[in-house]
Amino acid sequence: MATHTGKVILSLGRINVVGLGVKTTVSSVTYATALSTNRSARNEGRLDGQGKGPFSRKPKRLAKEPRTAEMSVEQDWTAVYPSAKPFRPNAVPLPVRMGYPVKRGVPPEKKGNLELIKIPNFLHLTPAAIKKHCQALKPFCTEWPSALDNDDKCDEHFPIKVTSTDYVSAGPSVRNPSARIVHLKVKLSSLNLDDHARKKIVKLVGERYCKRTDMLTITTNSCPLRKQNYDYAMYLLTVLYHESWKIEAWEAEKTVADMEEYSWEDSPSQKNIIDLLLRLKVAEGGEVEEEQELLKSGEVQEYKDSVTRLKNEAASESSTLQYKEAVKKVFNL
Amino acid sequence: MAAPIALRRELFSLSRILTGISHLGPKPCLSHTKYNVTRCHLPLKASTSYFHTATVFKSTPSLITVTEEPDTLFQKVSILVKCHDRAVLDSYELFATMAANELGITISKVYEPPKAIDRLTLLKSIHIFKKHRVQYEMRTHYRCIELSHLTGCTAQAYLEYVQRNLPEGVAMEVTKTAMEKCPDHILEPMWKDHPIDNKPSQ
Repeated sequence: MATHTGKVILSLGRINVVGLGVKTTVSSVTYATALSTNRSARNEGRLDGQGKGPFSRKPKRLAKEPRTAEMSVEQDWTAVYPSAKPFRPNAVPLPVRMGYPVKRGVPPEKKGNLELIKIPNFLHLTPAAIKKHCQALKPFCTEWPSALDNDDKCDEHFPIKVTSTDYVSAGPSVRNPSARIVHLKVKLSSLNLDDHARKKIVKLVGERYCKRTDMLTITTNSCPLRKQNYDYAMYLLTVLYHESWKIEAWEAEKTVADMEEYSWEDSPSQKNIIDLLLRLKVAEGGEVEEEQELLKSGEVQEYKDSVTRLKNEAASESSTLQYKEAVKKVFNL
Repeated sequence: MAAPIALRRELFSLSRILTGISHLGPKPCLSHTKYNVTRCHLPLKASTSYFHTATVFKSTPSLITVTEEPDTLFQKVSILVKCHDRAVLDSYELFATMAANELGITISKVYEPPKAIDRLTLLKSIHIFKKHRVQYEMRTHYRCIELSHLTGCTAQAYLEYVQRNLPEGVAMEVTKTAMEKCPDHILEPMWKDHPIDNKPSQ
């Protein structure tokens, strides 16, 4: 027997350690006799195939019927799997098979199947369990205000949108440094700005303003905490707003090159056309008209609109056609 | 300008309701600035109880405390789940959508962004044999669930529930929270009362 030989070796080992300066012959004889008496005593008392020696196993219990045999169809499954637990073949009454089949075979059964234990299971999240959990969670939830059912109303009452991200993952650390980033979005039309303030704030923020959607986006990530970044973003918005209402002395030196939009008044185009019309009148020999009257005439107004449109918007076919029509009308072609 | 204030419920040991383990302690609440809500009617929940939970196991109603803090409003909450296994994501999506429907949360859309595959090619042998290589790839599947019109309490309860039931390791969640707020000190410029008469800037 393996255990017997193990015992013998152990005893010999003991002899080697203990009897360093002592004669070994006497001690070995005593150990051997002790072993033989132990063996005979053990054999008498035990049933079927027990291990010999003092380190034998306890009596083996007979395997019972699996728990699935006693499960009824109407049982409460949430009591069997109340929380996330690995797959237990004797607790799940389903004839599941998983694994790669051998040649001309089927996937292995669930009993002793490691593949079923390895994968994450959702046995604790059956629809019945979810309903139970949600019933318990219901008291902690509040209702959305019924007056804010569409996005327009939300934008009207709550124009500022703050966006931030949370990250959940498994790893050495729970923290994620990207979680501190805060984006603040607001439409400039919802702020109380006059013409000058609006132009100034657009100049101040530069890249952060999208003209197409009229959205100002402030992204803050310089502070280590999300709350700090949020406070900083609100501070920036406040400062921008109040600064844009200020009128500094040097703003009076704004030149035509600084203008955001093209304005026709006092532009070379106006001067040119007035000059041209006056010279035409003189050449035809008609009466000298006032500049103001020329300006008010319909053709000049149309010309003004077409030129403004060409300059402000991207050149398109319709705007060039409009310019052509206006010019033709001015010259009465 | 009377401002009706929405009452906020604080979450006390949600895990106890789910699994019956020991008391975790009150959840920290985010600080919010009060906003003036004039036109919309925020429902005022009746205050239930203010029991201080000293013992471990108590019934559900005593865990709810109602505070005077105004509730945050989330216009959109976007949950992105990542996994190496598409089947797990299918099950998880079923669970999350069912939970949202049970709690009365509007789901705006559920979609599957295309999977991302990271491939790398390595030498098969430890020494020489440059022509023989082995290729590995890591597939990351995604699933995005977008919820709209959530209050802060509902979002907190739902997100905690859904995050506690994340399957092991492989599924990762990225939650985008878009909030709405109203400006209070940006309504009027402060120079109106004290007009600046062309001082040179410093």
